[in-house]
Amino acid sequence: MSYLGEFEQLILFAVVELGDNAYGGAIRQCIEERTGRTASSGAIYTALGRLADRGMVNARVGATTAGQVGRPRKYYRLEPTGARALQETYSTIQAMAGGLLAQLDKLAQER
Amino acid sequence: MTAPRFSVRAVLRRLAMLSIRGHEAPFVLRDLDDALQHDLDSGIPTRRAHWRYATNVVGSAMAMWRARGLRVYLPISRLDVKTGVRMLVKHPSLSLVAAATLTLGIPTGLAPFHVFNALEAPLPVEDGDQIRLLRYWNTATSGTDRTTMYDYDRWRGAMTSFQTLGAFRTGAFNVLVEGERVAPSSGAEATASAFEILRTRPLLGRTLQPADEDVDAPAVVVIGHTFWQSRLAGDPDVLQRTLQIGDRAHRIVGVMPDSFRFPVQHQLWLPLRENPAQEPRHGRALNIFGRLAAGTDATTAEAELLAIDGPMATQFPEAHARLRAEVTPFALLAFGLAKSGMRGQPDFYVAQLLTLVLLSVACANVGMLMFARNSNRATELAIRTALGAARSRIVGQMFVESLVLAVLAAGFGLLLIDQALSPLMHRLADGQLPYWVDLSVTPWTASWAFALAVFSAAGVGVVPALKLTGQGIRANIERSRSQRTGTRYGGVSGVLIVADVALAVAIVGFALTMADVVKNIAGTDDVAGIPVDQYLSAQLAIPGIEAATGAGSSDSGALAARMGATQIALVDRLNAEGGIRGVGVATALPRMDHAARWIEIEGDATEGEPVAYRVRSANVDIGFFEALEQPVLAGRGFQAGDLGDNSHVVIVNTPFVENVLGGINPIGRRLRHRQGPDGKPGPWHEVVGLVDNLGMTLVRPFSGEGIYHPLAPGDANPVRLAIHVGDDPLAFAPRLRAILHEVDPLAVIATPMALDQVVEGDWYVMQAVSLGSGVLVAVLLVLAASGVYAILSFSVTERSAELALRSAIGAQRRDIAFTVAKRAMGQFAVGIALGLPLALLLANSAPDEGGPAAQSPVLLTLFTAIGVVVLVGIPACLAPTLRALRIAPHEALKNSG
Repeated sequence: MSYLGEFEQLILFAVVELGDNAYGGAIRQCIEERTGRTASSGAIYTALGRLADRGMVNARVGATTAGQVGRPRKYYRLEPTGARALQETYSTIQAMAGGLLAQLDKLAQER
Repeated sequence: MTAPRFSVRAVLRRLAMLSIRGHEAPFVLRDLDDALQHDLDSGIPTRRAHWRYATNVVGSAMAMWRARGLRVYLPISRLDVKTGVRMLVKHPSLSLVAAATLTLGIPTGLAPFHVFNALEAPLPVEDGDQIRLLRYWNTATSGTDRTTMYDYDRWRGAMTSFQTLGAFRTGAFNVLVEGERVAPSSGAEATASAFEILRTRPLLGRTLQPADEDVDAPAVVVIGHTFWQSRLAGDPDVLQRTLQIGDRAHRIVGVMPDSFRFPVQHQLWLPLRENPAQEPRHGRALNIFGRLAAGTDATTAEAELLAIDGPMATQFPEAHARLRAEVTPFALLAFGLAKSGMRGQPDFYVAQLLTLVLLSVACANVGMLMFARNSNRATELAIRTALGAARSRIVGQMFVESLVLAVLAAGFGLLLIDQALSPLMHRLADGQLPYWVDLSVTPWTASWAFALAVFSAAGVGVVPALKLTGQGIRANIERSRSQRTGTRYGGVSGVLIVADVALAVAIVGFALTMADVVKNIAGTDDVAGIPVDQYLSAQLAIPGIEAATGAGSSDSGALAARMGATQIALVDRLNAEGGIRGVGVATALPRMDHAARWIEIEGDATEGEPVAYRVRSANVDIGFFEALEQPVLAGRGFQAGDLGDNSHVVIVNTPFVENVLGGINPIGRRLRHRQGPDGKPGPWHEVVGLVDNLGMTLVRPFSGEGIYHPLAPGDANPVRLAIHVGDDPLAFAPRLRAILHEVDPLAVIATPMALDQVVEGDWYVMQAVSLGSGVLVAVLLVLAASGVYAILSFSVTERSAELALRSAIGAQRRDIAFTVAKRAMGQFAVGIALGLPLALLLANSAPDEGGPAAQSPVLLTLFTAIGVVVLVGIPACLAPTLRALRIAPHEALKNSG
């Protein structure tokens, strides 16, 4: 099984949510809106680059249309390998966390 | 080269482009822009959005560096910084001198860059750097040429590179607030599109709208915040009020915020009502500007403008052959410079180079101080070397220690710029600096200051450190035993001090001469014996006739006719007023800088080519010389018959006869302007009279060769009045305004002041140069003092054993003091000897030819200069000498081993 770090999981979930519109800025915004966590655009792209190298996402450069201004965007799509890895990682976490959340809450409340 | 844009966003964007590299960089940069736009669109305050953008840039750069396996290596440890601070505290007087030197040196290095950036800053409105001026550049005169409604209509209809174009024209308007006296206020007639371009919301009410430009629409005005507060006492019901502007009531429809003073420092905005023009180069001048369309840059816009304007040169070769249409930054409106702006002027680079040289001299001086300070650390260096510290590590530490000092000094320097420069510039510019000029410290200035601090620290810390550590482990240990560095100040330090002193003497001399010139300008009023303190000088103008009358006419003939009638009526009324001894009307008055023109004299040619002379000129009315109580020395004065278009006569002044005609009788000679408005030589003018030199420039009143043309009423708008009032002429100003209001409510009296208070043109340059050289003197004196202090401190430390021995064998205190200070005294003497000729040279180059300023005793100036330098030098010598006298023989001999 391929290991996915927490940040990579967040990115892949964002890619799932955004579908065909998954580019760096949108992913960053999605993570920020859902989790309140901010990440730099550079960090998102380097993580996406790693995931692409591992065959988990596929990248394509957006077409430049006549009315478009500025630099192009790079769009990402989740590959089956990535989807499976995310599924497995998340299941693993869920399996491990099963029945322990109440205890975790209690421990977290302690001073 | 395009001038860099200095908005916060532009700075951050540039930072991002510099720091984010790699094949993913274009996409990251795009996302950074998207994120910023998203933040701004979602209503986050601009400052907060910029902060989020900056953290995103830094985070992205670091993430991408890490991904590429790069690590940021900073040779700085917290301990080094701590040591640096400790060293500053341990040697307070030395630190103070070093910090003071750099605190003056770093802002001096910064000043040209900072000031020029501020002058050329974009308008302080949303995306102000997208706002550009469209203008004509006259290649024959190397100056701007006017644009008119004809150009505006043509360009607005054809250009696609701009979202929209706007036009405006500035002027002074007579404004009457109920219950108060009429007073002029500066304003602009502008198209409604100007407000669309500027994207600034009114504080109250609305801005101008296209319907307001209709000649039959009700008269409206938008006012500025300052006007609202000062003239209308901040009345909350201001939108219910009207203002009498000229001879017409205008309803106030809006109040703009305090930050809005478009286009320069204006407070009233009236709709521009002008019919479309049918011919090029006709009608009144106006300024045209616009906001670039999204994705278009200024180069593309200019290419389009040139393509549109190209056929004009063929269709109207007379008028357009020498005109080149340009798209320039808006700031150039205020300065009339070529498109390359300040950076296209050689003066900018000379100023920048000079200040950097000065900073380098400051660094060299502080470097000597650091060397002196670190020379006491022989033991520390020896121990560290013995324990295996690499030379690079020790040098790095000393660099950081110097960096602490330099950053501290840069901080003080920035504070100095932030707090002192702005009031100084505003004072120099007499409150007329354009509203976009903000001299507070910008991120760019701070970055440049930091770069200069690093540069200074390298010079101040690394060079002495390399010298100190360059002698190997054994030498270090040897030195630690003897408590001596074994290093002597070489010739470089001596040369440096000599150069400091020589420059200080030279610049002191120059500054004093300049100050003398400025001070003596008051004395130039004796030029022709005119009692200038008895004359009231004022400008008479009729502005914005279309806006005020609703005539909707661009006919400049109608305006000239009205101006002529007003001028005649006003002069008649004034002459009938009790106590008025005379009224003169001219385009320029004595003490003012008259326009300079090139002329040719009939029959004066060398090898067939006519000789050209640069002379000053003015147009004056028939009664001008009489009003100034100036007799016509030869020939005759102007007569009514001289005012027609077909009469070409001039009166010349005595310097003209002496310097241009070589002293021969001028009456009957003929001259002509080398280049008329159409670029060809003008008609021949016959000299009919001779008058004394009335002063045609403020700064060089004695060398003003000049000619006077007759001025018919209405020929010029505005004109200057010289009213012979008697004592306290300024007290007559309210009465003058009241009379004028009765004569013509539309006409405006501006800048009334006693004639002896008039300063303009070169006066400000002279003041700035005088002030600048004063600052330079201060910097150089501090440098010289710090250099001497450093060399003596070091010398006393090095020679403590020798001095102790001298003391032990009975040397007098006076002898010891002399032994210590003699080298510095020698260097001072050499510096003064070298500085004197330089001072003489500079003093002679000051513009004081022929006037009372030239009579200033040069020797006195030079002795003052020497006195100042010696006064500064003595305290610098005193502290180390006193330290030498306090050396206890037994302690010093014990330490020396």
